[in-house]
Amino acid sequence: MQPTASPRPVRIAVDIGGTFTDIEILDETTGQTFAVKTPTTPDDPSEGLITGLRLAGEHVGFRFSDISALMHGTTIATNAVLQRRLPKGALITTAGFEDVLEIGRHFRKQVYASKAEPRVVLIPRAWRLGIKERTLATGAIETPLDERDVARIAERLKAGGIQCVAVCLLHAYANAAHEQRIAELLAKHAPELDVSLSHEVSPEIREFERSSTTVLNALLMPVVRRYLERLRARLKTAGFEAPVYLVQSNGGVMSPETAALLPARLLLSGPSGGALAAETIAQRLAMPDVVAVDMGGTSYDVSIVSGGRTRLVTEGNVDGLPVRLPMIEIRTIGSGGGSIARVEESGRLRVGPESAGAKPGPACYSRGGTEPTVTDANVVLGRIDPQFFLGGAMRLDAEAARTAVTGRVAEPLKLTPEAAAEGILQVAVSHMAGAIRLSLFEKGLDPEDFTLLSFGGASGLHACDTADEIGIGRVVFPRDPGTLSAWGMLYSDVVHALARARLMKADGTAIPNLKDICAELRRAGAERLEADGIAPPEQLLPIALDMRYPGQAYEIQVPFDGAAGNLDAALKASIARFHEVHEAQYAHAEKHVTPDIVAVRIAATGKLRKPIEHAFAFEGSAAPKGRRKVYAAGNWHDTAVYERAKLAAETKIAGPAIIEEAHATHFIPPGWELTTAPTGDLVATKRAGGAA
Amino acid sequence: MSMKALDVVQLEVIRNALVAAAEEMGVTIWRTSRSSVVRDLLDYSTCVFDAEGKSVAQATCIPVHLNSMSSCLDDILRDHIPLKEWREGDIIITNDPYSGGQHLNDILTFKPAFVEGRLVGIAGVLVHHLDVGGGAPGSYYAGATEIYQEGFRIPPMRLDDAGRRNKEVIQLLLRNTREPANVGGDFASQLAALDIGVKGLHRIARRYGPDRLAEACLGIRRQSEMAMRAMIRDIPDGTYSFEDFTDDDGIDRDTKIRIAVKLTVRGDTVEVDLSGSSPQAQGPVNCTRNMSGSGVFCGILMSIGSEIPANAGCYEPVRIVAPDGLCVTARSPAPVANRMAIAHRVVNAVMGAFAEAIPGRVPAAYYGVSYAYATNLFHADGRRQVYFDLTCGGWGGHPEADGANGFSCGLHNIANAPVEMLESTYPVTFEAYTLVPDSGGAGELRGGCGLIRAFRIDAPAGTLACNFDRFKTRPYGLAGGTPGAAGFAELQRADGTVERLPSKVAGKAIAKGDVFRLVTAGGGGYGEPSKRREEAIADDMANGYLTREAAAAQYGVKAG
Repeated sequence: MQPTASPRPVRIAVDIGGTFTDIEILDETTGQTFAVKTPTTPDDPSEGLITGLRLAGEHVGFRFSDISALMHGTTIATNAVLQRRLPKGALITTAGFEDVLEIGRHFRKQVYASKAEPRVVLIPRAWRLGIKERTLATGAIETPLDERDVARIAERLKAGGIQCVAVCLLHAYANAAHEQRIAELLAKHAPELDVSLSHEVSPEIREFERSSTTVLNALLMPVVRRYLERLRARLKTAGFEAPVYLVQSNGGVMSPETAALLPARLLLSGPSGGALAAETIAQRLAMPDVVAVDMGGTSYDVSIVSGGRTRLVTEGNVDGLPVRLPMIEIRTIGSGGGSIARVEESGRLRVGPESAGAKPGPACYSRGGTEPTVTDANVVLGRIDPQFFLGGAMRLDAEAARTAVTGRVAEPLKLTPEAAAEGILQVAVSHMAGAIRLSLFEKGLDPEDFTLLSFGGASGLHACDTADEIGIGRVVFPRDPGTLSAWGMLYSDVVHALARARLMKADGTAIPNLKDICAELRRAGAERLEADGIAPPEQLLPIALDMRYPGQAYEIQVPFDGAAGNLDAALKASIARFHEVHEAQYAHAEKHVTPDIVAVRIAATGKLRKPIEHAFAFEGSAAPKGRRKVYAAGNWHDTAVYERAKLAAETKIAGPAIIEEAHATHFIPPGWELTTAPTGDLVATKRAGGAA
Repeated sequence: MSMKALDVVQLEVIRNALVAAAEEMGVTIWRTSRSSVVRDLLDYSTCVFDAEGKSVAQATCIPVHLNSMSSCLDDILRDHIPLKEWREGDIIITNDPYSGGQHLNDILTFKPAFVEGRLVGIAGVLVHHLDVGGGAPGSYYAGATEIYQEGFRIPPMRLDDAGRRNKEVIQLLLRNTREPANVGGDFASQLAALDIGVKGLHRIARRYGPDRLAEACLGIRRQSEMAMRAMIRDIPDGTYSFEDFTDDDGIDRDTKIRIAVKLTVRGDTVEVDLSGSSPQAQGPVNCTRNMSGSGVFCGILMSIGSEIPANAGCYEPVRIVAPDGLCVTARSPAPVANRMAIAHRVVNAVMGAFAEAIPGRVPAAYYGVSYAYATNLFHADGRRQVYFDLTCGGWGGHPEADGANGFSCGLHNIANAPVEMLESTYPVTFEAYTLVPDSGGAGELRGGCGLIRAFRIDAPAGTLACNFDRFKTRPYGLAGGTPGAAGFAELQRADGTVERLPSKVAGKAIAKGDVFRLVTAGGGGYGEPSKRREEAIADDMANGYLTREAAAAQYGVKAG
């Protein structure tokens, strides 16, 4: 397709991962989407982004001036934390509580280790500075702020070469006066410092989690600002003028201006695109209950869409550091294509969590890896074609895979290489199945009601076996599985998540407070959306309350019709909903008890125009592109191999079969049957009584 | 293809399924329980046993629960209800320390799973219940001198008899607790979790067949046993001795309590002889034999086997020896509520003995007590609130790393309560929650620092109860390292006078304006202090873990 003279509005989503930059292009006129993958440029990801956009423009036929919006998913914040590429920072906190950041919750994960697991503390004790002040839980001030202390601290920070500072005082969520005053004084005495205030970053009760989030935000401010400046410069040079939105961990997007102030909201945003895609696909297929799984090189991510929606949780963690911000719920286990299989001295066969990663990688990558991995096992069994890995982009060494599996697993266990390889996959599948079952189980959901959605390049090799293991009878392989995360971003909205933590009894006495807080949150939300250029008709300002029974340590979020004229009735409805959800989730409710309100929240949302669904047509034939030997259930099978792009409508394929496409390979085991859906997705179902 | 080797794959798959069943039981309790002890402190454990009653998979974060369920079931099967008398639909219950339990708050329940009339496994659940009666709220009565003052006792018996529930038993228990709503709710969760475990066992047994499941369970235990034996074989044969002390029993405050370990390694077996320990104490610090067993296994796993999947196989190569009637093998009716004061010391002493056997692999002593305190606060309107808390101290220096500052260790693994949550809930205001400089023992690799937790009472009146230790006996250093600093507690009265407290306090009156200050022990140091790297000392000084004075005294750092 050649660039044409007439403008051709396109919306673009870019997901920058560790290895590849995935680009999805939506033609806003026809609803058609196109996918492009280019290598990531780790030193400055904006470089690869521009290269990718150019490539996509040539490939699909659009000019930079045709772009109406760019949705940008980035791991720059997460990677800066993981690789400790962070500037020198300080923490100002209430005197007597300087060590809260180090002590954390003092709960360990490795129960019997004699050497304590490393605790990440991003600001050393020397730069955790106590200040004389005290605010109480009620918000009352017991000890006024010592302003001379602030001036002294400002001088110390300057002398120490500190670039950014987090301010987290006890109970600042209840009364922010001291944090605000410190910010004013720092602006006066040390205006070049980046300052993060806890009541702005994460206005939530629990001092350690709020400190951790505020510190991360402060340390990321210089990092993210520099990246956004480079990106802006590059886009400007390229003649790009459309708005840019950055993807947050809650599934919404935000402007670069907001991201520069609240960069912690970029942390753990990786799964957001996938979750949006899962929601959208669930809707497209009219299957409201799906488990989306995404298998990468080192990890396996499970997220649940229940009743058509993914769930948000109020906290995540990066490298063990809590990030107390709303985010998409996801369960991650260390099971991936690179998971290493080992036979221990006791004769135990273990698969993962150790991973060969990308370097040295699986043995078949020929990059120096000698230990057998899940990918090597797939090569030995003929499920991955060594000539057609990543659509042929990378040649694999099948002999190296076989040697690794034989030497490290088959021989010690006195098995054939095939049986050893199949054993490795069975163990890996049992881990993945366990993670899915637990994700469903902890919400009281039954696997039999769910469909498995297979994302990513490697998931399709194990999806049917995993489904089998947990009693799920249907697996969907969506279109463009390798770039789904970017595709999901095309569907996101602008979201400003704001909160006020305030402990109140949920009865009539709370109404005046609630009225004020709701008005304040709605005003703040609308202002921020306004600043993003979103007009009132496109604004949604839903209020929610975090509630709990008195004495509980965990809250349930319920909607509150804060715009209603009758707030009494609205609160009664929220309370009724709270009891109901408590009953469903925890199997009991105490309807005679008045719950507490712990926080009031708003997800101020600016609706962006949604892509139109483009009708899909399979236009190929039912003929396989070839056949090869694939090992499954203890035997070699002469197996048909299909190219996804060349399938015909209403095709039915009985397993065993292999489906290949540019960035993924899917294995349909014996006993399963695959059909092409009119949406362009492939649906595998277990045949009644079919043998596994 | 060798059939035996094929089982290795299936064994691993079945292991994962059994662990998943134990985790599902754990999630059920968390999801449905009511009290904060269960929901926030996560004081419960779940376990799956095979058809012989041997543990094969568990979901637990709290090491003290390791072995406790397993040895309890062993005792029940041996002395009370043999396996052949278990029927489909039975639930066996007990909390009796003298019939396999540990302290009365921990109620243990077991339910067998049958497939076509054949026993295929047993689900087990242990929950720490908030209150089981006795002399103090929460049933931690520091003044107890016999178990009858500590709460109600349930001998091993059938709560469900072939599917028929003995509801009167539950009524009887709830009539004897201060917290019937919480305990009743948590108890219902405990029973719901048992059903989930049995369902999981049914699923696994039907899928793989009872024979293969039994074979796999045996294999899982064998693998842990072999891994354990391999670790023991690497230890030079010989006898290694170590002793450590608990401050006192809270009743007789002048007598230290000795915990002596004689560790004999012979080939791939270990004998732990505790015979040299003090006689059972008058106060409630005693351990039953099973409780000491938990301490011994925790010490062994921390010394040599942190990677080994913990199950009944781990116990096979280990023999514990001690006559009845010692503080580590208490006889009824000795009180046991504050058993952790001695159980932690068992861990310290076992690790000390291993340090003799395999020098260079075992760290110096950690703080060694679960610092538990409770304030009963009386509001002006007559309302009462119990604020109960637990805290920790520093880790011992490790041959490869400094000890961690203020971090749960040993038998103890509990999360702290956030200061902001406590102040929002109880009439208290915290003055400090920080690390204690200079509290880590000196060494080439220093001990971790202890903690200060200090708060002011804002209620008109109340009482304070403490179950502490390590106020007199300090956590030992190793290989030339010095001991960690001892802890202490004090009450600063509203008029400014300061009163030092003993480590065990039962029901002391407190009033508005009093400040309670607890300082916990640091860990022991490892290696000669003179060998500590200069940069490490400078770094500790720059960060205030070490003061100038202590640097001079401990490491000979010259002023200036």
